[in-house]
Amino acid sequence: MKIKINGHTFELNSELTNTLTNELENKKSIYLNDALSRYFNNQQQSTFALALNGEFVGKDDYCSTSIKANDSIDILFPIQGG
Amino acid sequence: MTVTTGSLKLYGQQLSSRLLIGSALYPSPLVMKQAILASGSQVVTLSLKRQNPQMNSGAQIWQYIQEIVTQVNGFLLPNTAGCKTAKEAVTLAKMSREIFKTDWIKLEVIGDDYNLQPDPIELLNATEQLLNDGFKVLPYCTDDLVLCQRLYDLGCQVIMPWASPIGTGKGLMNPYNLETIRLRLPDATLILDAGIGKPSDACLAMEMGYDGILLNSAVALADNPVTMAKAFANALTAGEQGYIAGLMQQRQTAHPSTPTLDTPFWHQS
Repeated sequence: MKIKINGHTFELNSELTNTLTNELENKKSIYLNDALSRYFNNQQQSTFALALNGEFVGKDDYCSTSIKANDSIDILFPIQGG
Repeated sequence: MTVTTGSLKLYGQQLSSRLLIGSALYPSPLVMKQAILASGSQVVTLSLKRQNPQMNSGAQIWQYIQEIVTQVNGFLLPNTAGCKTAKEAVTLAKMSREIFKTDWIKLEVIGDDYNLQPDPIELLNATEQLLNDGFKVLPYCTDDLVLCQRLYDLGCQVIMPWASPIGTGKGLMNPYNLETIRLRLPDATLILDAGIGKPSDACLAMEMGYDGILLNSAVALADNPVTMAKAFANALTAGEQGYIAGLMQQRQTAHPSTPTLDTPFWHQS
Protein backbone atom coordinates (compact mmCIF):
# COMPACT_ATOMS: atom_id res chain seq x y z
CA MET A 1 0.00 0.00 0.00
CA LYS A 2 1.38 3.39 -0.98
CA ILE A 3 0.84 6.52 1.04
CA LYS A 4 2.43 9.95 1.00
CA ILE A 5 4.21 11.51 3.95
CA ASN A 6 5.22 15.15 3.52
CA GLY A 7 4.87 14.73 -0.22
CA HIS A 8 7.10 11.66 -0.50
CA THR A 9 5.69 8.27 -1.41
CA PHE A 10 6.14 5.47 1.11
CA GLU A 11 5.47 1.83 0.46
CA LEU A 12 4.13 0.13 3.53
CA ASN A 13 5.36 -3.30 2.55
CA SER A 14 8.74 -3.88 4.12
CA GLU A 15 9.25 -4.92 7.72
CA LEU A 16 6.05 -3.20 8.66
CA THR A 17 4.10 -5.26 6.15
CA ASN A 18 5.10 -8.44 7.84
CA THR A 19 3.03 -7.45 10.80
CA LEU A 20 0.45 -5.61 8.79
CA THR A 21 -0.12 -8.50 6.42
CA ASN A 22 -1.34 -10.63 9.21
CA GLU A 23 -3.54 -7.83 10.38
CA LEU A 24 -4.90 -7.31 6.89
CA GLU A 25 -5.63 -10.98 6.53
CA ASN A 26 -7.56 -10.66 9.73
CA LYS A 27 -9.31 -7.69 8.13
CA LYS A 28 -7.84 -5.28 10.61
CA SER A 29 -7.02 -1.73 9.66
CA ILE A 30 -3.67 -0.02 9.30
CA TYR A 31 -3.42 2.89 11.66
CA LEU A 32 -1.57 6.18 11.61
CA ASN A 33 0.76 4.90 14.27
CA ASP A 34 1.93 2.17 11.86
CA ALA A 35 2.86 4.72 9.22
CA LEU A 36 4.64 6.88 11.79
CA SER A 37 6.78 3.96 12.84
CA ARG A 38 8.09 3.89 9.25
CA TYR A 39 8.88 7.58 9.30
CA PHE A 40 10.51 8.15 12.68
CA ASN A 41 13.56 6.62 14.24
CA ASN A 42 12.26 7.71 17.61
CA GLN A 43 8.75 9.04 17.46
CA GLN A 44 8.51 9.57 21.21
CA GLN A 45 11.37 12.08 21.22
CA SER A 46 10.03 14.15 18.34
CA THR A 47 7.89 17.27 18.67
CA PHE A 48 5.45 17.21 15.80
CA ALA A 49 1.80 17.51 14.81
CA LEU A 50 -0.03 15.66 12.09
CA ALA A 51 -2.69 16.15 9.45
CA LEU A 52 -4.28 13.37 7.44
CA ASN A 53 -5.56 14.43 4.03
CA GLY A 54 -5.52 18.03 5.22
CA GLU A 55 -7.39 17.42 8.47
CA PHE A 56 -5.74 17.68 11.87
CA VAL A 57 -5.46 14.45 13.84
CA GLY A 58 -4.57 14.72 17.52
CA LYS A 59 -1.95 12.52 19.14
CA ASP A 60 -4.57 10.67 21.13
CA ASP A 61 -6.11 9.44 17.88
CA TYR A 62 -3.02 8.07 16.11
CA CYS A 63 -3.70 4.54 17.28
CA SER A 64 -7.36 4.60 16.33
CA THR A 65 -7.27 6.47 13.00
CA SER A 66 -7.01 4.08 10.08
CA ILE A 67 -5.30 4.93 6.82
CA LYS A 68 -5.84 3.65 3.30
CA ALA A 69 -3.93 3.63 0.02
CA ASN A 70 -3.07 7.04 -1.41
CA ASP A 71 -3.70 8.84 1.84
CA SER A 72 -1.54 11.91 2.39
CA ILE A 73 0.02 12.64 5.77
CA ASP A 74 1.62 15.92 6.72
CA ILE A 75 3.98 15.86 9.70
CA LEU A 76 5.04 19.31 10.83
CA PHE A 77 7.73 20.46 13.24
CA PRO A 78 8.43 23.76 15.05
CA ILE A 79 10.53 26.24 13.12
CA GLN A 80 11.44 29.92 13.35
CA GLY A 81 8.76 32.28 12.12
CA GLY A 82 7.81 35.90 11.90
CA MET B 1 -4.92 52.44 24.48
CA THR B 2 -6.14 52.01 28.01
CA VAL B 3 -3.44 50.11 29.89
CA THR B 4 -0.46 51.57 31.67
CA THR B 5 2.68 52.80 29.97
CA GLY B 6 4.87 50.07 28.55
CA SER B 7 2.43 47.25 29.16
CA LEU B 8 0.12 45.50 26.75
CA LYS B 9 -2.83 43.22 27.32
CA LEU B 10 -3.52 40.46 24.80
CA TYR B 11 -6.69 38.49 25.41
CA GLY B 12 -6.44 39.20 29.12
CA GLN B 13 -2.74 38.43 29.37
CA GLN B 14 -0.74 41.34 30.74
CA LEU B 15 2.66 41.83 29.11
CA SER B 16 5.49 44.13 30.13
CA SER B 17 6.38 45.12 26.56
CA ARG B 18 4.35 46.35 23.62
CA LEU B 19 6.74 44.72 21.16
CA LEU B 20 6.09 41.28 19.66
CA ILE B 21 9.07 39.81 17.87
CA GLY B 22 9.74 37.10 15.30
CA SER B 23 12.31 34.34 15.56
CA ALA B 24 13.29 34.03 11.88
CA LEU B 25 16.08 35.32 9.65
CA TYR B 26 18.70 36.01 12.33
CA PRO B 27 22.33 35.33 11.42
CA SER B 28 22.58 32.76 14.22
CA PRO B 29 20.53 31.32 17.09
CA LEU B 30 22.74 33.18 19.56
CA VAL B 31 22.07 36.53 17.88
CA MET B 32 18.37 35.67 17.84
CA LYS B 33 18.45 35.10 21.58
CA GLN B 34 20.44 38.26 22.29
CA ALA B 35 18.16 40.35 20.08
CA ILE B 36 14.96 39.02 21.64
CA LEU B 37 16.32 39.66 25.12
CA ALA B 38 17.43 43.16 24.11
CA SER B 39 14.00 43.93 22.69
CA GLY B 40 12.30 43.32 26.02
CA SER B 41 9.54 41.46 24.20
CA GLN B 42 7.65 38.70 25.95
CA VAL B 43 5.95 37.37 22.82
CA VAL B 44 7.92 35.37 20.26
CA THR B 45 6.41 34.21 16.99
CA LEU B 46 7.24 30.90 15.35
CA SER B 47 5.78 28.48 12.87
CA LEU B 48 5.40 24.86 11.74
CA LYS B 49 6.93 23.34 8.65
CA ARG B 50 7.69 20.00 7.08
CA GLN B 51 11.15 18.76 8.02
CA ASN B 52 13.06 15.57 7.75
CA PRO B 53 12.94 14.04 11.26
CA GLN B 54 16.41 12.59 10.71
CA MET B 55 17.76 16.16 10.51
CA ASN B 56 17.74 17.48 14.02
CA SER B 57 18.02 21.20 13.21
CA GLY B 58 14.36 21.87 13.85
CA ALA B 59 14.47 20.24 17.24
CA GLN B 60 17.48 22.32 18.24
CA ILE B 61 15.95 25.65 17.30
CA TRP B 62 12.70 24.69 19.00
CA GLN B 63 14.63 23.91 22.18
CA TYR B 64 16.40 27.25 21.89
CA ILE B 65 13.19 29.24 21.45
CA GLN B 66 11.67 27.48 24.43
CA GLU B 67 14.64 28.47 26.57
CA ILE B 68 14.36 32.12 25.48
CA VAL B 69 10.64 32.30 26.17
CA THR B 70 11.14 30.73 29.59
CA GLN B 71 13.92 33.21 30.36
CA VAL B 72 11.70 36.23 29.59
CA ASN B 73 8.67 34.69 31.28
CA GLY B 74 7.05 35.01 27.89
CA PHE B 75 4.64 33.45 25.46
CA LEU B 76 4.73 31.73 22.10
CA LEU B 77 2.66 33.09 19.24
CA PRO B 78 2.50 30.50 16.45
CA ASN B 79 1.58 31.71 12.98
CA THR B 80 -0.12 30.13 9.99
CA ALA B 81 2.42 31.39 7.47
CA GLY B 82 2.12 29.88 4.02
CA CYS B 83 -1.59 29.11 4.24
CA LYS B 84 -3.74 30.23 1.32
CA THR B 85 -7.15 28.95 2.33
CA ALA B 86 -9.22 29.01 5.47
CA LYS B 87 -9.12 25.21 5.57
CA GLU B 88 -5.31 25.13 5.52
CA ALA B 89 -5.09 27.82 8.19
CA VAL B 90 -7.58 26.11 10.48
CA THR B 91 -5.72 22.80 10.18
CA LEU B 92 -2.37 24.45 10.88
CA ALA B 93 -3.79 26.36 13.83
CA LYS B 94 -5.03 23.12 15.38
CA MET B 95 -1.63 21.50 14.86
CA SER B 96 0.03 24.52 16.48
CA ARG B 97 -2.29 24.38 19.45
CA GLU B 98 -1.35 20.80 20.10
CA ILE B 99 2.41 21.34 19.84
CA PHE B 100 2.74 24.73 21.49
CA LYS B 101 -0.05 24.29 24.00
CA THR B 102 -1.48 27.75 23.37
CA ASP B 103 -4.77 28.91 21.94
CA TRP B 104 -3.17 32.07 20.60
CA ILE B 105 -2.75 32.04 16.84
CA LYS B 106 -1.35 34.68 14.51
CA LEU B 107 -3.67 34.02 11.63
CA GLU B 108 -2.17 34.51 8.18
CA VAL B 109 -4.09 33.56 5.05
CA ILE B 110 -2.26 34.81 2.01
CA GLY B 111 -4.16 35.76 -1.13
CA ASP B 112 -1.38 36.90 -3.43
CA ASP B 113 2.12 35.51 -3.86
CA TYR B 114 3.61 38.75 -5.16
CA ASN B 115 3.03 40.95 -2.15
CA LEU B 116 1.87 38.31 0.33
CA GLN B 117 -1.31 40.27 0.81
CA PRO B 118 -3.86 38.62 3.12
CA ASP B 119 -7.01 37.22 1.53
CA PRO B 120 -9.81 39.01 3.39
CA ILE B 121 -12.52 36.49 2.50
CA GLU B 122 -10.55 33.43 3.59
CA LEU B 123 -9.26 35.32 6.63
CA LEU B 124 -12.76 36.08 7.87
CA ASN B 125 -13.83 32.50 7.22
CA ALA B 126 -10.88 31.07 9.14
CA THR B 127 -11.26 33.59 11.95
CA GLU B 128 -14.88 32.62 12.52
CA GLN B 129 -14.07 28.90 12.59
CA LEU B 130 -11.15 29.34 14.97
CA LEU B 131 -12.97 31.65 17.36
CA ASN B 132 -15.81 29.11 17.50
CA ASP B 133 -13.22 26.46 18.33
CA GLY B 134 -11.88 28.42 21.28
CA PHE B 135 -8.84 30.02 19.68
CA LYS B 136 -7.71 33.51 20.56
CA VAL B 137 -7.16 34.85 17.07
CA LEU B 138 -4.68 37.60 16.20
CA PRO B 139 -5.47 38.14 12.51
CA TYR B 140 -2.87 39.61 10.18
CA CYS B 141 -4.81 41.77 7.74
CA THR B 142 -4.57 44.70 5.38
CA ASP B 143 -5.16 48.27 6.53
CA ASP B 144 -8.79 48.09 5.43
CA LEU B 145 -11.15 49.67 7.95
CA VAL B 146 -14.16 47.55 7.06
CA LEU B 147 -12.17 44.31 7.19
CA CYS B 148 -10.82 45.26 10.61
CA GLN B 149 -14.35 46.11 11.72
CA ARG B 150 -15.61 42.72 10.55
CA LEU B 151 -12.82 40.93 12.38
CA TYR B 152 -13.62 42.87 15.53
CA ASP B 153 -17.33 42.13 15.17
CA LEU B 154 -16.55 38.42 14.90
CA GLY B 155 -14.88 38.59 18.30
CA CYS B 156 -11.22 39.34 17.70
CA GLN B 157 -9.97 41.41 20.62
CA VAL B 158 -6.68 41.91 18.81
CA ILE B 159 -6.35 43.01 15.17
CA MET B 160 -3.07 43.29 13.29
CA PRO B 161 -3.18 45.43 10.14
CA TRP B 162 -0.07 45.61 8.03
CA ALA B 163 2.11 48.66 7.68
CA SER B 164 3.25 47.39 4.27
CA PRO B 165 3.92 43.96 2.71
CA ILE B 166 5.85 41.42 4.77
CA GLY B 167 9.59 41.89 4.70
CA THR B 168 9.61 45.05 2.58
CA GLY B 169 10.65 47.45 5.33
CA LYS B 170 8.67 50.16 3.56
CA GLY B 171 7.09 51.37 6.77
CA LEU B 172 3.60 52.85 7.02
CA MET B 173 2.32 52.91 3.43
CA ASN B 174 -0.97 54.53 4.28
CA PRO B 175 -0.95 56.43 7.56
CA TYR B 176 -4.44 57.76 6.89
CA ASN B 177 -5.89 54.24 6.80
CA LEU B 178 -4.08 53.25 9.96
CA GLU B 179 -5.17 56.39 11.81
CA THR B 180 -8.75 55.82 10.70
CA ILE B 181 -8.71 52.24 11.99
CA ARG B 182 -7.44 53.51 15.34
CA LEU B 183 -10.11 56.20 15.43
CA ARG B 184 -12.98 53.92 14.43
CA LEU B 185 -12.02 50.95 16.62
CA PRO B 186 -11.06 52.63 19.89
CA ASP B 187 -11.64 49.52 22.00
CA ALA B 188 -9.76 47.03 19.81
CA THR B 189 -6.18 46.13 20.63
CA LEU B 190 -4.34 47.15 17.47
CA ILE B 191 -0.93 45.71 16.68
CA LEU B 192 0.86 46.99 13.61
CA ASP B 193 2.28 43.94 11.88
CA ALA B 194 4.57 43.60 8.87
CA GLY B 195 6.51 46.05 6.76
CA ILE B 196 8.14 47.95 9.60
CA GLY B 197 11.61 49.01 8.49
CA LYS B 198 12.88 51.61 10.92
CA PRO B 199 12.44 52.40 14.60
CA SER B 200 10.79 55.66 13.52
CA ASP B 201 8.08 53.60 11.74
CA ALA B 202 7.25 51.93 15.03
CA CYS B 203 7.38 55.22 16.84
CA LEU B 204 4.94 56.76 14.36
CA ALA B 205 2.44 53.95 14.84
CA MET B 206 2.67 54.27 18.60
CA GLU B 207 2.14 58.04 18.32
CA MET B 208 -1.10 57.20 16.49
CA GLY B 209 -2.24 55.24 19.50
CA TYR B 210 -1.47 51.74 18.31
CA ASP B 211 -1.18 49.27 21.16
CA GLY B 212 1.88 47.45 19.92
CA ILE B 213 4.17 46.42 17.09
CA LEU B 214 4.98 43.00 15.68
CA LEU B 215 8.15 42.81 13.63
CA ASN B 216 10.92 40.47 12.60
CA SER B 217 12.93 41.43 9.52
CA ALA B 218 13.73 44.96 10.66
CA VAL B 219 15.65 43.55 13.61
CA ALA B 220 16.91 40.25 12.21
CA LEU B 221 18.26 41.79 8.99
CA ALA B 222 19.90 44.82 10.61
CA ASP B 223 23.67 45.03 10.55
CA ASN B 224 23.52 44.70 14.31
CA PRO B 225 20.26 42.99 15.32
CA VAL B 226 20.86 43.35 19.05
CA THR B 227 21.37 47.11 18.91
CA MET B 228 18.42 47.42 16.53
CA ALA B 229 16.22 45.50 18.96
CA LYS B 230 17.09 48.03 21.65
CA ALA B 231 16.41 50.87 19.24
CA PHE B 232 12.93 49.50 18.56
CA ALA B 233 12.24 49.11 22.25
CA ASN B 234 13.18 52.76 22.77
CA ALA B 235 11.14 53.84 19.74
CA LEU B 236 8.02 52.16 21.09
CA THR B 237 8.47 53.87 24.43
CA ALA B 238 8.98 57.26 22.80
CA GLY B 239 5.96 56.87 20.56
CA GLU B 240 3.73 55.63 23.35
CA GLN B 241 4.73 58.44 25.68
CA GLY B 242 4.20 60.93 22.87
CA TYR B 243 0.69 59.61 22.33
CA ILE B 244 -0.13 59.70 26.03
CA ALA B 245 1.30 63.22 26.36
CA GLY B 246 -0.94 64.41 23.53
CA LEU B 247 0.54 65.68 20.29
CA MET B 248 0.02 69.33 19.42
CA GLN B 249 -2.37 70.13 16.63
CA GLN B 250 -0.72 70.84 13.30
CA ARG B 251 -1.21 74.38 12.04
CA GLN B 252 -1.33 75.69 8.54
CA THR B 253 0.78 78.80 9.16
CA ALA B 254 3.90 79.66 11.10
CA HIS B 255 3.62 80.83 14.67
CA PRO B 256 6.66 82.29 16.44
CA SER B 257 7.89 80.30 19.38
CA THR B 258 9.62 83.27 20.94
CA PRO B 259 7.22 85.77 22.52
CA THR B 260 6.64 88.73 20.22
CA LEU B 261 5.95 91.16 23.03
CA ASP B 262 8.87 93.58 23.59
CA THR B 263 10.71 92.53 20.48
CA PRO B 264 13.77 94.74 19.72
CA PHE B 265 12.87 98.24 18.56
CA TRP B 266 14.34 97.88 15.11
CA HIS B 267 11.53 95.45 14.17
CA GLN B 268 8.83 97.90 15.16
CA SER B 269 7.32 100.34 12.68
